[in-house]
Amino acid sequence: MSKSKEVTVGDSLAVKKTARLSPLGFFMALPPVLVILFFIGGPILLAFSFTLGFTTGPNEIVALIGQEIYTKTNWWGTLEAYKSVFSDSRFPGNLKATLEITFVATTLVIVLALGMAIYQRIIGGRLATILVALSLVPLFVPVVISAFAIRTFYDGTGFFKTIFYHFGLTFPTLTMTNNAVTIGVIWTSLPFAILMISSGLQSVPDALIETAQDAGAGFMRIIATVMIPLAFVPIVIATTFTAIGIMGSFTIPYFLGANQPTMLGVEISNFFGPYNRPQHSIVMAFVIFVAASGIGFFYIWANVRSAKQSGRI
Amino acid sequence: MFKNLLKKKLVSALALTTVATLSLGVVAPSSQAASTTIRIYVAADTNILDLWEKTLIPAFSKEYPDYDVKVTFDRNGANDTQTLAKITAAVAKKRDPGMDLIDGGITTTLGSAGLLFPLYTGLVPNLKMVPKVLVTNGKGGIPYRASTVLMAYNSKNVKTPPKTLADVLTWIKANPGKFTYNAPSGGGSGYSFVQTVLDSQLSASEILKLQTGADKETQVKWAKGWDILRGLNKFTYGQNGTYPTNNAGTLDLLAKGLVDLAPVWSDQIASAIKAGTMPKDVKYYGISGPSLTGGPAFLGIPATGKNRSAARYLVNWVLSPTAQNLIVAGNMNGIPVIPASKLDPVIGATVSDINIAAIRAGYISANAADLRTAWAAEVPGK
Amino acid sequence: MSHSANKLNIQTNSWLVRIFLSAFIGFMGLFILGPLFWLAIRAFVTEWTFPNLLPDGLTMRWWRVIADDGSLLEAIKNSLIISPIVVLISAAICLPAAYAFSRYEFLGRKTFLIGIFAANAFPKIGLFASIATLFYTLNLMGTILGIIIIQVLGTVIFMTWIPAAAFSAVPRNLEDAARDAGASKLRVFWDITLRLAMPGILVALVMSFLAAFDEAQGTYLVGVPTIYTMPTKMYALVLNYPVQISAVFSLLLAIPSVILISLARKQIIGGQLAEGFQIK
Repeated sequence: MSKSKEVTVGDSLAVKKTARLSPLGFFMALPPVLVILFFIGGPILLAFSFTLGFTTGPNEIVALIGQEIYTKTNWWGTLEAYKSVFSDSRFPGNLKATLEITFVATTLVIVLALGMAIYQRIIGGRLATILVALSLVPLFVPVVISAFAIRTFYDGTGFFKTIFYHFGLTFPTLTMTNNAVTIGVIWTSLPFAILMISSGLQSVPDALIETAQDAGAGFMRIIATVMIPLAFVPIVIATTFTAIGIMGSFTIPYFLGANQPTMLGVEISNFFGPYNRPQHSIVMAFVIFVAASGIGFFYIWANVRSAKQSGRI
Repeated sequence: MFKNLLKKKLVSALALTTVATLSLGVVAPSSQAASTTIRIYVAADTNILDLWEKTLIPAFSKEYPDYDVKVTFDRNGANDTQTLAKITAAVAKKRDPGMDLIDGGITTTLGSAGLLFPLYTGLVPNLKMVPKVLVTNGKGGIPYRASTVLMAYNSKNVKTPPKTLADVLTWIKANPGKFTYNAPSGGGSGYSFVQTVLDSQLSASEILKLQTGADKETQVKWAKGWDILRGLNKFTYGQNGTYPTNNAGTLDLLAKGLVDLAPVWSDQIASAIKAGTMPKDVKYYGISGPSLTGGPAFLGIPATGKNRSAARYLVNWVLSPTAQNLIVAGNMNGIPVIPASKLDPVIGATVSDINIAAIRAGYISANAADLRTAWAAEVPGK
Repeated sequence: MSHSANKLNIQTNSWLVRIFLSAFIGFMGLFILGPLFWLAIRAFVTEWTFPNLLPDGLTMRWWRVIADDGSLLEAIKNSLIISPIVVLISAAICLPAAYAFSRYEFLGRKTFLIGIFAANAFPKIGLFASIATLFYTLNLMGTILGIIIIQVLGTVIFMTWIPAAAFSAVPRNLEDAARDAGASKLRVFWDITLRLAMPGILVALVMSFLAAFDEAQGTYLVGVPTIYTMPTKMYALVLNYPVQISAVFSLLLAIPSVILISLARKQIIGGQLAEGFQIK
């Protein structure tokens, strides 16, 4: 199709970069990178050395407090802590719950966001505006409050319980199940996905849609062949950010979830505090980090793909 | 191989602890101003906050007008992870952690790691009145009050509550969905129920081992107890093996009438009924065979707290008969850690039949942490 | 074709579709607003016994509890002071970088961008011990500066990525034209580049403010017991204080956010956010 070419040409006009390497740019970009490197990168490295069994120096006291700490046996450390976490009978279940909730919730969030955004883009009108404004509300509610509100809404004396009771029916108690966690993370992740996707769809030119329409393409066909391919990158971005956010979440599963299996974010906190196994806890943090990086890879791939398309690489 | 490593680790840990505590006591100089602020960090339920703010501190300030006491409160120790990390780092770096006295569950963990300011009866004379076994178990934490876990029930729905542990277990199965206990990782009342069920399948000597030292071999014998607890999954409130997160979660279900029977802390249920947040129909009692556990709450002075000497005065005062009277008589309904004979005769009479050293004790912190993680692996969702 | 209400002339006027849509909006309304209202009502009632449809009674006494507690007001004050400072500092550090990411090619450009992203994906709870050690070494524990730093860390991703995209979106030929007309470099930047990129920067400011304002765990680690902010106080309260008091606090906590959304709604919906999260 020649249509997509039109768009990418217009796109590349805006972004034209000076080809030579600029030392000034390097130094201007440095401050936030240094801040991150110093205050997060350093601690991440330290934490990583701790999982490998480097229990002296700055890691000494944490190692002293914790139970079942593995100390390095080779110059590079030991993998015992990782083995111990991976062989724990709970770990597969928790990992599965984490990935499942992440997958189900992300899918639902993207489907909902895509549906609403497409509706707003193609049909518009007052109802669409209301719908989008409504879905943005959670963006501005602190997550502690969201968790607390959702917990009260779905618990044993919650809204549906109350209403159903008067019809002689019983609504299941969702609080303290992983279904409630899924509801909670959808609730908190929806606004960002809507923002990303709807503004991505805004950039699809009206002319393109009209041309397709004139050519006799139906509603579904326009969506499948015009809208989604052109808004591909924002959709991928929404997906990755949503998935990463959900995967590392703590507050929502802590307030709403079952005891076991639970999401790794909660388990990290359990192992650090009540179970007194800080090394295991940090190993799990790295598991999330690695999984998130996998998703991040997807994200970068999508960006490179879009950059190639628009002729920037 | 791991066992050997662990042993080696423990030996070196002990050595380090001793060195650390000795050197820290010398290195960081104590700064004594004319008017000193003692900063208490309370990581417990609101009734403990009230005990400090409304009862103990006003009385202390009257006796020691030179000292100012400031309370920081963390409900149910929700931020224990951060607090533990913070104090650990502060002691390692020989810095002031921003608190001089801690009242909370993390005290024993800090004590075992040697991060608390060591106390001798010479520095805290009133410690002499406290049973020795409690002081030893504190590992540097100072026992200052005790409470036990009791069984609470809704008298509207339960006419004759079960009196022994065996009866409780039968009752649970006969009344599906009407009993719960909270996850041991989230609060002591659920922890106590779990330990009691486990203990019911152990010999007295095995229980003693778990109360006095880290003991992986004896933990293997928990297996029977886990079977019993797993068997309760379909009969408890969650029905598919889910349990409330913490003490407050249990009390919440009880208050809303969603469960009729649950283990609760003696002080929390008494204060909740007094405050009106718990319906008057809810009553409580102790079970037997074995009884639910309980025990002292510990205060701890971080080794590098700026005003740790001042904190010692407060600790000593809290152990005095004056303060112990307040703990027993006030809204707190606490159990004193000094003999009833030292208290005001009227107040002492109400607790004279409670022997604190005879309250069934919990395991030491290493075994308790193992119990919490093992419960999560063995029971919920199975 | 000019349909100002309807963006395109695709008609879906079948009443079946309309009914489905209304039902969907109703469902979303219940799904999103339901929990908030269900909680908020409790700020004004005495008790609510299950399964009654109406609360037992109305009262304002929970609000008085909050008003009487000085520490809560102090936490609110702290939050309102600290968060704007965080946003300003973050802007000062990150905006030049954002400009550089958009306008210059330099060594490690992509690595820098992805590094900022990756640091954001690591669960902070695994870092508390090492961060605490670091902060004690630097004497930052329990200080306002320490809290500001910990909150700035969470804003960096918004403050670099979104403005970088906004700068990229400013047409270069417009700047060139102004330069040709004799305007100074600074003047071009000020009058053209910055002005055109402003909506994007505004979005970054709002997202950063929300990130800073809501940060609780790190702030607790660094600030408590010396300094409390609204969310750290909230964490202490939310776990089952009488539910009504938490409800009051929730309403209070939502106010700054609501004000912000109404101020920046247009920019946020206008597509600046989507622009921000692409590596260009």
